Amino acid sequence: MADGTDSGFSEGQPSGPGGSSGPISPDLDPLNITTSTVDLEESLDMGAETPLDCGPTPRSFYTLFTDGEGDPKAAGDDITVFTQSSLAGLQLDDALASDVHDLFVTVDDPEKHITNMESYITYRVTTKTTRSDYDSHEYVVRRRYQDFLWLRERLEATNPTHLIPPLPEKHSFRRLDRFSPEFLKTRQAALQKFLSRIVDHPTLSFNENLTIFLTAKAWELASHRKQAQGIMGKMGSSMRSMAAGYMMKNRSPEYATMQEYVNTFGAKMGTIDRINQRLLKEMTDYEQDLREFGPVFTLWSNSETELAPAMLGMAAGVEKCEKALEQQISDQEHVFAPPVKEYILYAEAMKAVLKRRDSIQMEYELTVEELNRKRNDREQLKMSDQSYSLGAFMGKDPEEVRQQKRTKLDAQIEELLKQVEVSNDNVECANADLKADLERWHRNKRRDVKEVFSELCDRNIQYYQECLSAWEETLQEINQKSELETASTLATPTSSCPDTPNLATPTSSVTPPLPATPTKEGTEGGASEGQEVTQ
Amino acid sequence: MADAGSDSAQDVGSEASTPSSSKRVTSLLSVLEISVTEPERRTGVSAINMKETYTVYLVETRITDMKSELLPEIFTDETFSLWRRYSEFELLRNYLCVTYPAVVIPPLPEKKIHMMWQKLSGGEDKFDPDFIERRRAGLESFLLRVAAHTQLSQDKIFHAFLHLVEAWKETVLATGYQNKKIYLILRTAQMDSRLKTLNAQFRLKNPDRRFQDLKNYSSELEANIANLLKIRERLAERLYGIHKIHANYGRVFSEWSGIEKEMGDGLQSAGHFMDVYAASIDSMLEEEDTYADALKEYLYFADALRSICRKQELLQYEVEKLEDKLVYLKAQKQQMEQGVDVKSGFSLKGMTTKLFGADTPEIREKKIQQLEEQTQQTEEQLQAAKWELSTYIDRSLQDVERFKRQKVRDLREIFINYSIMQIKLCKKGVSLWNNTKECFTKM
Repeated sequence: MADGTDSGFSEGQPSGPGGSSGPISPDLDPLNITTSTVDLEESLDMGAETPLDCGPTPRSFYTLFTDGEGDPKAAGDDITVFTQSSLAGLQLDDALASDVHDLFVTVDDPEKHITNMESYITYRVTTKTTRSDYDSHEYVVRRRYQDFLWLRERLEATNPTHLIPPLPEKHSFRRLDRFSPEFLKTRQAALQKFLSRIVDHPTLSFNENLTIFLTAKAWELASHRKQAQGIMGKMGSSMRSMAAGYMMKNRSPEYATMQEYVNTFGAKMGTIDRINQRLLKEMTDYEQDLREFGPVFTLWSNSETELAPAMLGMAAGVEKCEKALEQQISDQEHVFAPPVKEYILYAEAMKAVLKRRDSIQMEYELTVEELNRKRNDREQLKMSDQSYSLGAFMGKDPEEVRQQKRTKLDAQIEELLKQVEVSNDNVECANADLKADLERWHRNKRRDVKEVFSELCDRNIQYYQECLSAWEETLQEINQKSELETASTLATPTSSCPDTPNLATPTSSVTPPLPATPTKEGTEGGASEGQEVTQ
Repeated sequence: MADAGSDSAQDVGSEASTPSSSKRVTSLLSVLEISVTEPERRTGVSAINMKETYTVYLVETRITDMKSELLPEIFTDETFSLWRRYSEFELLRNYLCVTYPAVVIPPLPEKKIHMMWQKLSGGEDKFDPDFIERRRAGLESFLLRVAAHTQLSQDKIFHAFLHLVEAWKETVLATGYQNKKIYLILRTAQMDSRLKTLNAQFRLKNPDRRFQDLKNYSSELEANIANLLKIRERLAERLYGIHKIHANYGRVFSEWSGIEKEMGDGLQSAGHFMDVYAASIDSMLEEEDTYADALKEYLYFADALRSICRKQELLQYEVEKLEDKLVYLKAQKQQMEQGVDVKSGFSLKGMTTKLFGADTPEIREKKIQQLEEQTQQTEEQLQAAKWELSTYIDRSLQDVERFKRQKVRDLREIFINYSIMQIKLCKKGVSLWNNTKECFTKM
């Protein structure tokens, strides 16, 4: 277990490269830090008594070494550097130049499985690695959502001081069809994100449960999952302190700030999610109406001759816009909404880890309180009169009684001192882990926001550009016919010459009667027909 | 809207607008401009001695060519204006309908709101500013179209409408237009077109194909435009909603920026652009409303077309009625002369002869003479009716042609303007989202 004085190592450290290739051989480790590493690995075993022990992470090797204690390159020799491999599209959390990644995971290929009892989806999880604690360089397994859930639960149990990335929600609410291709695509992307984040975490990526998840055969995984049931109970101790629920005396204000931030952030994400939903609904309704709009022009064009092309042009423009809108709607639902939901869940995960940190600090304070009480008791004992104690009544010498009690208290205090040290360590570790994780989270969040919202803007731009070209085309069509029309009016003289009465219609074979006949309407002075002809 | 009307109306006035032929400027609109502005509320006393409130509009005429021969003599000033209320416009239109029955008279904007969706948007109140504004535009368009029409623009009552401040109404009534036979026919036509049913007594023996087609066309036109307007209204509502939701994004971005450090500025600016986006829809929809109104005018034009058809039917009915009467009279006369109806065995005359004795030759002569007179009269009436019908057909079909050409121009312009507006909107959208993207990429 790490010495308390080493607690400075991980504070203020931005999350660095993924880590080394595993336990270092003793010749590279003059300071004998290795053994501590080994202890770390042991403590990560399932069933460890104190899962709260964080220990130095492999990353911290570097800092110990570069603190001037040794040649950094010595440690570097054993570390193989990987460039971003053929697994394109995999977003890695840390964009630092000196990144070292030796573990890559992809999630794809959803497949439906139907059994007698249920039907479900599995995803193919492919792992490529050079780490020596993996037997092979490549693994391909199939996992279902439940398996991911198990992994997350295990990670939380074994790393309570760390922020564990969220999983997508179990159910899809908008559509009850959990097998629809869009839903599967969205879920796959979310699961991919989840694993990538874990793999890039300096501590979590070495977690044994992750290894099992990535490599175990189906039956092996099943047996591990059964074991997990029993372990959950071990969380009880920290749960107890959380249940107490009162404010800590020594909580640094920065945690209150963090809490506030997380609460507000979560609320804002929730608001954005609701706005997304509303927008989606309005856009869907708009599309439905748009679908009716185009056909009206088409229908109308049936009763028009010269205007028919223009109207068909209008119909075409509307239809193209509708197509573009369909894409927009799909994007709104499947590209923009999921990340927001994910961050809502992330906020929840952050709240949980903050709570756990609080409970660790609580435990420490309680222990200190207990210690102080006992010390106080010991002081009191010196001055107390034991002649009226129970032991004296039993016939013992009061001094002996005092001595016995004193011994007992000494032992207790001794024990408590140790415990205080341990829980202090825990607090320090928890704080350090939390801080590191939060910093990394903030960076990732900023990058994610940038990415997602830039994408949103791009899609909107594309939508408007498509509509723009649609209407430009329509305008051209409308204008084009206009030239054709003027050409035709030039060719055929219209019946508008005011001097010649229009007798094109064959009905009138009657000569106008004499002026004595009843009223001729429309004339101002009963003039001849010529004047009355309208234009 | 006014511009659209005047430009295309200009073309009507100068129909042969090709550069080669000589320009024949035959409508008033080429020498003056009319505008309807400044609606104001007035209170007065109505015909039944009750207090009433109404809106008046300022009708302003400005002469652009003082030297033109087309100008009526009474237009001596370069500009003149007066106030008119809706009922006076109505009176003018009724007068024109009766006086020029073969012309497709431009429609007036609606007097009352009868479409449900308008009622909901607060249009029921005749003093609602939006309603008054749209009415104003419609009234202006009406006057411009009248001024653009060769025949209508020469009408003295129309001139008086623009110019005569006092007692215009009395002048109209003095023409006695209500007494014209066609007026009564028109009233019937109006009633029928509103009921939209073919009254049994007006079933024609030989309906004129062209007017049947025209009637069908006008129904289709009306249905199509009504449909279009209804959907457009829904679309406008939806689009409005979508844009306004983005204002919510603006607000939440702004709030969110408050808790962020490095992201704060970017989020704040992005929020600002969302607000801009939300606000941009208002002016666009206002513009779209004007095109919708222009289309609505043609909705009412469909009605005017139908009334043209109606009038033709009524005139033809008159002719057919007279023809029938003539046939009957001739048959009567023949019967008289022969004493007995040759065709059928039974005759009333035969019976009465047997019962009461035959007519004396003198009486028979008298009766025959009567019939001849009647026949003569009926023939003359028939001639007149036929002439009325044919003249009406000629004139109305000609004006319908003019109307159709005008319609093609007007509708095309509406579609062009609508497309241009959409293009503008899209360009604004592209630019705005580019700006927003910058906020994020710079973050």
